[in-house]
Amino acid sequence: MDINSRPLGRRDFLRGSLAAAALAATGSLAACATSGTGTTSQSSAPAGQVSDTNPFGVKSPSTVDAVIFNGGYGIDYAEFAGKQVEAKQQGVTVKVTPTTKVAQTLQPRFVAGNPPDVIDNSGAGLIGINTIRDQLAELNDVVEAKNYEGTVIKDTLYPGVMNPGTFDGKFVVLNYALTVYALWYSASLFEQNGWTVPKTYDEMLALGAEAKGKGKYLLGWGKEAATYYQTMAIDSAIKEGGDEVRLALDNLKPGCWSLPPVQDVFNGLKKIIDAGYVKPGGAGTQFTAAQAQWSDAEQFILYPSGGWIENEMKKQTKSGFKMTGAPEPVVSSNSKMPWEALHSTAGEGYIVPSQGKNVAGGKEFLRAMLSKDAAVNFAKTKLSSTIVKGTVPPDAFGSTALQSQIKLLEGAGSNIFTHNFVDLYGMNTDQLVVWNSFLSGDSDVAKLTKGLQDITDKVAKDDSIKKVQVS
Amino acid sequence: MTTLASGGVTSGVSAPPGGLRRIGSARWRRRNLTFDKISFFLVFLVIPVAFYVGFVVSPFVQAAYFSLTDWTGFTPAMNFIGLSNYAKLFTDSTFLQAMGNNILMAFVVPIVTLGLAMFFATLVTVGGSTRGNIKGLRNSSFYRVISFFPYVIPAIVIGLIWSQIYDPSAGLLNGILTRLGLEQFTSFAWLGDPRTARWAVMFVIIWGLVGFYMVLFIAAIKGVPAEVFEAARIDGAGRFRTAISITIPLIRENVQTAFIYIGILALDAFVYMAALEPGGGPDNTTLVMAQQLFTTAFAKGQFGYACAMGVVLAVITLAYAGLVFAVNRIFGGKSEVGE
Repeated sequence: MDINSRPLGRRDFLRGSLAAAALAATGSLAACATSGTGTTSQSSAPAGQVSDTNPFGVKSPSTVDAVIFNGGYGIDYAEFAGKQVEAKQQGVTVKVTPTTKVAQTLQPRFVAGNPPDVIDNSGAGLIGINTIRDQLAELNDVVEAKNYEGTVIKDTLYPGVMNPGTFDGKFVVLNYALTVYALWYSASLFEQNGWTVPKTYDEMLALGAEAKGKGKYLLGWGKEAATYYQTMAIDSAIKEGGDEVRLALDNLKPGCWSLPPVQDVFNGLKKIIDAGYVKPGGAGTQFTAAQAQWSDAEQFILYPSGGWIENEMKKQTKSGFKMTGAPEPVVSSNSKMPWEALHSTAGEGYIVPSQGKNVAGGKEFLRAMLSKDAAVNFAKTKLSSTIVKGTVPPDAFGSTALQSQIKLLEGAGSNIFTHNFVDLYGMNTDQLVVWNSFLSGDSDVAKLTKGLQDITDKVAKDDSIKKVQVS
Repeated sequence: MTTLASGGVTSGVSAPPGGLRRIGSARWRRRNLTFDKISFFLVFLVIPVAFYVGFVVSPFVQAAYFSLTDWTGFTPAMNFIGLSNYAKLFTDSTFLQAMGNNILMAFVVPIVTLGLAMFFATLVTVGGSTRGNIKGLRNSSFYRVISFFPYVIPAIVIGLIWSQIYDPSAGLLNGILTRLGLEQFTSFAWLGDPRTARWAVMFVIIWGLVGFYMVLFIAAIKGVPAEVFEAARIDGAGRFRTAISITIPLIRENVQTAFIYIGILALDAFVYMAALEPGGGPDNTTLVMAQQLFTTAFAKGQFGYACAMGVVLAVITLAYAGLVFAVNRIFGGKSEVGE
């Protein structure tokens, strides 16, 4: 073999590789490091002409980039609203993109300073509002604008629906779908057996004995939804103890879980659990499977949940079930709020990032959603009310659950409250653990209280987490 | 026999004689870069290295840096806060519990999986009739295919299938147990009871992986000349003795690699947990670090803290690999075949 014509030797190759690696290393490292932290301050597109029909001055032509959570409600209602915008604002196009994991999909766009114009920030993978609330546009001008029918939007909304989206006095999240939290049951099953809806935990205990007689359990749960019982417990405690309890919990006060009304509720639940009226095995059951045990197999008879339950279980509900909601129970007859008081809030939080390219367009999209056609379309196709009043006819499109939601709202009058701290600080995952073992009967009230208090204190003491003062 | 296991055969070939090398490097300087060399460098070195650095090394470095900040993950801005994320980490009882769970899994899952895989692989390859040629059990190729099935199913699907099987009320497992008259398993929550959850989850992981490692070991055992086994048999070694004294030492390198692979998987385990125990399981008994990292980053908006968890996870993984190497080294010299 001739030495000179020897093909590339191993040494040469390695020597070259070292140089190449060194070069590449410095080059792309620098590039990547900056791409992660680069600040780009995009000002929104120059505004168009502001007028009564174009209150935010959407530029024409322009594009509205809407990212919509594709969950229980789908995205067709948002596409419907998008079409409305396109019809009302000449030259504006709306691009609706579905996503199932909001935080994961949009996190890089927030960092790059290039977020969408409007986002439906919902679902299990939502962006914790506390993390991004500094980067959101205030939405007061949206509700103060006139809708497509010419009425000021604010006057068409249910009372209090802006509260859950207001943080430290800034209204930045428009929660679109109205939700009431209730104790759900089958009106037909209750009628058949001559049962009445329990108003207190003692009445629930008594009903549990009757249900047992018919071979049914009183309550049941699924592992991912164990904290539905926490929501009910908090609601009951707030009804019992009033605003004092609500503020203590919402503001993460030390010892808030040991307040007497909270403890009374926990003890009431514990009695029901100890009596064996809760269907065992929930801690290992997927939550929709557990819910089907209620709505389809009728193995247990009461289920605390939000108003989305009907839509969620649509395909797994026994025919003639007559799903109906009742106010969550109180502890005693002399509670601070009446039994009819209601935990109602709005979900499907719409946000408009202030760094978006077309902030005005994002707001116009919300204006379309809050106008009559889109709101009625939502109620009709999703069997769920929006925060816009008067979009549900008396027959509620044939849905007993929606009918009862409207009835609950009317019955509650001004006794409507909500609380935010669980989602705001992302505590649900940790609390699920505690509630699963409590509902299984593996722990007691003292352990439950300590577990919840530890989780709350951990957040309260962590200086790196911004707190929202609730009053 | 050592050459087979250590790859010593090749050592004589790889380095050219000294004179050759010197002349070669002189030429390299003078004639410098031909098109051949440049294109070869480019295709086989620069591009892969650039990819490696861009997509593997640089994210690592960035994550390490982010772990020293209070980055929320949704802003371009972040503050440097030194090691306080790490200080927080080692007082965070939830994370420490997750770490404990991971470490337990990193020991139980590899030992059980590889033990079973080795057992089956031996049966299928050399465990057959003791007369005639060395061969596996009858119909061994059928067993091989069957046992590989679970590995063909994606991990997430395995998780979902088993979460149905474990369902307390409608699941197959409790259905069978109660049918057998074991009434205490009526509505027993395998994934919801702190006593059983972690074992139930580990069982699923092991079930899903045994087939793959079995096939891996079969391939390794097939690489060992049959005469070795024949010689052992003539010397009077039984099946068990053959496995311990012949098979394992001869495929030691494969076992070591398998240990590291499966250990890394057990230290991650995110996919299985996402399907079986998305919430961390009863009393967090099945919570793994990757899950905790994910919630911290995306649900709690604490990317800096989450990056610190990632760094700790990486360090543990490296330590695990080091431990496997060390154990192999310690037992290496003593049980060499053919001494």
